[in-house]
Amino acid sequence: MALLTPFNKMPELNTANILLVENEEQFQTKLADVIVNYEKQINVNVRLARKLPLPIENADTRPRIDLVVFIVNLIYERSLQAMESSIKHLDSGFFVGKVCFLVTGARCGSVSHERLLSVRKLAASLHCPMLCAEDQTTEGVRAAALRLLSIVKVSAGLVPTATALYLSALTRCTLPAELDQD
Amino acid sequence: MEGRGSAVKTPASRIVKRRSKSYGRSCVEPPSQFWYTPGQLTIVRIPTSREAAKSRNITEKVDPEKVALLVKNEWKLSHVTPLYRFRHTQLKQYSRHLSAFIMAEKQQGVAVEVGPETTFKVTFSTVLGLAETEEDAETVFIQIHSKPMFAAAGDVPKVVWSGWLTCVNGDPEYLRSLPPDFVSLPLFCTNGPEALTTLVKSWLERTFDCNCRSLILNSTILNWLAVLWTGCHPTTDIRYLKLDWTLPTDPSLDISYRLSPQDVWELWNSIHQEDSADDTVSLEEVNRFMTGLESHFFRHFRIYLSAGTLMKVSTSLGSAHHNGKIKIACSNYIPTVLTLLTECAILRMPI
Amino acid sequence: MDDIATDILRRTIRKIPVKKLQDTLKSWEHISTSQLETLDFSQPKWVFLENLRSLCEENDLNVKHVTELEMIYHIRNPNQGTWHACQLLEAEDEALSVELTQFREQFKAHLMEVMRHVSVKIKKHEDQAIWIRIAWGDNFNKPNQLKPTYVVHYLQTPYVFVSKLSSKHKPYLYQALVLSTRHSSIKDAHLSGSSLIALRDLLMRQYQQVFPTNQSRPLQERNALPSHPNIGKEHAELAEKRLQMACEAFGDGTVPKLETAVYRLETKYKGNGNDTLIDRDEPFKGVVQFTSTNLLESLRHCVASGMADAPVTPLLSSITQKGRNYFVITEKGPGAASQMTGRKI
Repeated sequence: MALLTPFNKMPELNTANILLVENEEQFQTKLADVIVNYEKQINVNVRLARKLPLPIENADTRPRIDLVVFIVNLIYERSLQAMESSIKHLDSGFFVGKVCFLVTGARCGSVSHERLLSVRKLAASLHCPMLCAEDQTTEGVRAAALRLLSIVKVSAGLVPTATALYLSALTRCTLPAELDQD
Repeated sequence: MEGRGSAVKTPASRIVKRRSKSYGRSCVEPPSQFWYTPGQLTIVRIPTSREAAKSRNITEKVDPEKVALLVKNEWKLSHVTPLYRFRHTQLKQYSRHLSAFIMAEKQQGVAVEVGPETTFKVTFSTVLGLAETEEDAETVFIQIHSKPMFAAAGDVPKVVWSGWLTCVNGDPEYLRSLPPDFVSLPLFCTNGPEALTTLVKSWLERTFDCNCRSLILNSTILNWLAVLWTGCHPTTDIRYLKLDWTLPTDPSLDISYRLSPQDVWELWNSIHQEDSADDTVSLEEVNRFMTGLESHFFRHFRIYLSAGTLMKVSTSLGSAHHNGKIKIACSNYIPTVLTLLTECAILRMPI
Repeated sequence: MDDIATDILRRTIRKIPVKKLQDTLKSWEHISTSQLETLDFSQPKWVFLENLRSLCEENDLNVKHVTELEMIYHIRNPNQGTWHACQLLEAEDEALSVELTQFREQFKAHLMEVMRHVSVKIKKHEDQAIWIRIAWGDNFNKPNQLKPTYVVHYLQTPYVFVSKLSSKHKPYLYQALVLSTRHSSIKDAHLSGSSLIALRDLLMRQYQQVFPTNQSRPLQERNALPSHPNIGKEHAELAEKRLQMACEAFGDGTVPKLETAVYRLETKYKGNGNDTLIDRDEPFKGVVQFTSTNLLESLRHCVASGMADAPVTPLLSSITQKGRNYFVITEKGPGAASQMTGRKI
């Protein structure tokens, strides 16, 4: 089992690298297009993956990952299951502000409430932020992409006044105390 | 804090709702929210266990003729917000109003697919006995009959549309919290031309200042139904359990899995811990049952059914479709199914 | 023109779209060109039908002629109703030399031998297919021309496709087929669908197949490359491998259009961690039906997109490998269910 680690490579100058993990491989491509085309100031690399662990063959060409985003499509139970099994292959060093969850379909009437709850519980227990996004419209994709961009800039150390840990302390997902007992 | 405490202990379905300040009651309640999206302030307590289905001869309590009406048809479900100033004593007046409303709309050119030269007659009636608790309002049954404008003497008016508003085992805390002028009949079942459904809905919305939206049955509800029906097998032969999934391939792939009733019951029986005191079914057991079926399927076809959507659950006792269509074929389990659906409708209430 | 002839004529004309009427009637060859010119094809169908009927009367046409028109319609619209495939077994030496004339004579003779009232029409279509229309009667009743059975056989192949055959008439048809094609038996191929062409293509493997030995990787081009140099796909190779395996199992490009596949599962329970049922000896019974507008395409996409785990299970690849879409899976059965290695969901 190859754990993905955050600090085994040197950072490159003025570069941020983001890893999008999504079982369905739909939303990630849309996001990636917006991210790379929007950002002009710094060099942003996007790596797309279906699951973790990542193939060992790519280990050399893969840059240092500054932010791992788990995309969960709440419409499909499988999306949640795949994320849950992927997350085990992540080094604990990432959980200091270098992981975030992005869910889609949260407001869809046909979605079981349990799924969103599961993601929230997981995000809260790992002290990570959870973002809700809308993947059907270009505005929705753009909004989500820009939010990820601003997070990755911080976690790549490109924002002078902020650190990843500081940001995640502010944005991490929380649950009301009574739900933890469930 | 007390209300929530009891919700945790009680095995039956519980919903803790937080109402807006103007309703005066619960602004002091602890923030028991974990379902919160901007613009939609519904706070939902998802039930994690419920009573197992019990066969009951409902015709002892409810007029058999009325029961026959409910069992016969396939119903499209909607959820309705509490009705303002609805009175069970004024049903005759409502009948007249709705008839007049439909005729007026028709004259304005709203297409009603029944034929041009017809008149409509609406009847409202109560179905006594369906309500299970003190708080449940009695079920209201609506029928629309049509007859030709120039009817012959022997012509019997034909039922072209029927629908009913019901509440069975609605969350008592929620129902008690309603202001006195409101009656909650959250589940609205309709059968008939879509145009008439739309007319009736808009009349309800105007007359009782409520809101009707179609109700989608998500996989959790369908899973519950699959399990509740399967659990009935020793008492009533369910003949089969059929589950239909749709996978989002291109073109889309429909998978139907029809299981032998005895085998599926044995699977359930091996998962379900029967409590002699109160026979409750937990959500965890439901999930294990469904995962058990899905993994058996996976071992054969290597297809992840969870990558798709559960569309329909059916047994000889009834069927339920993701798009909100249900059929109850066996009257003995009407209370069980309606309890589940009422709860599902209440979960959708916006505040 | 008796009532039955008129009835068949009406039913057939109703089904033919107006655009194709003239062409179809021309190839029927029982109405002369000059007569055809008198017909107004823009008329409503019932008026047109009256005019056509009087022409038929004029030419003294009867049931026999009208059924020919019906056959032409069916040959031109083969994807109607449900077709069942059958396979002839153990060809005799002469089987390869059976010709149309010989087949026609023998088939009719064999059928007439066992049935007094039966009407058979045989027509050869361009692509080597022999179309047979059979109207069945019995010893006391005349053949029922309104409910004919259609049979399509490709000469010199073991494949026969049958539509609208009642089980009562099955043995007679099978016997006549076996004898007239010089085979020793015939069996149900467990393949059915509404598209005759698809069934034929699947059985005769007339679609783009992909083989495991194919190392040239023509599929790679289809796997869209990242649109921007800064986007890297970690699982590009995996996706490609899945696509390759999907195409090996279900074919590449346009695949035969099957609609359903049915599996009757009579295997032991294989779900996860349920000892009570796993230890049980009796099978866990169920019927699984897959339905799609194009089943093979759906399954290919299902595997390629990762909704199914690769490699493709033999149960699903048997659809193309064995040319079947109905299976009974038992513990030691044909689908090799017992060999499968399970994985936890």
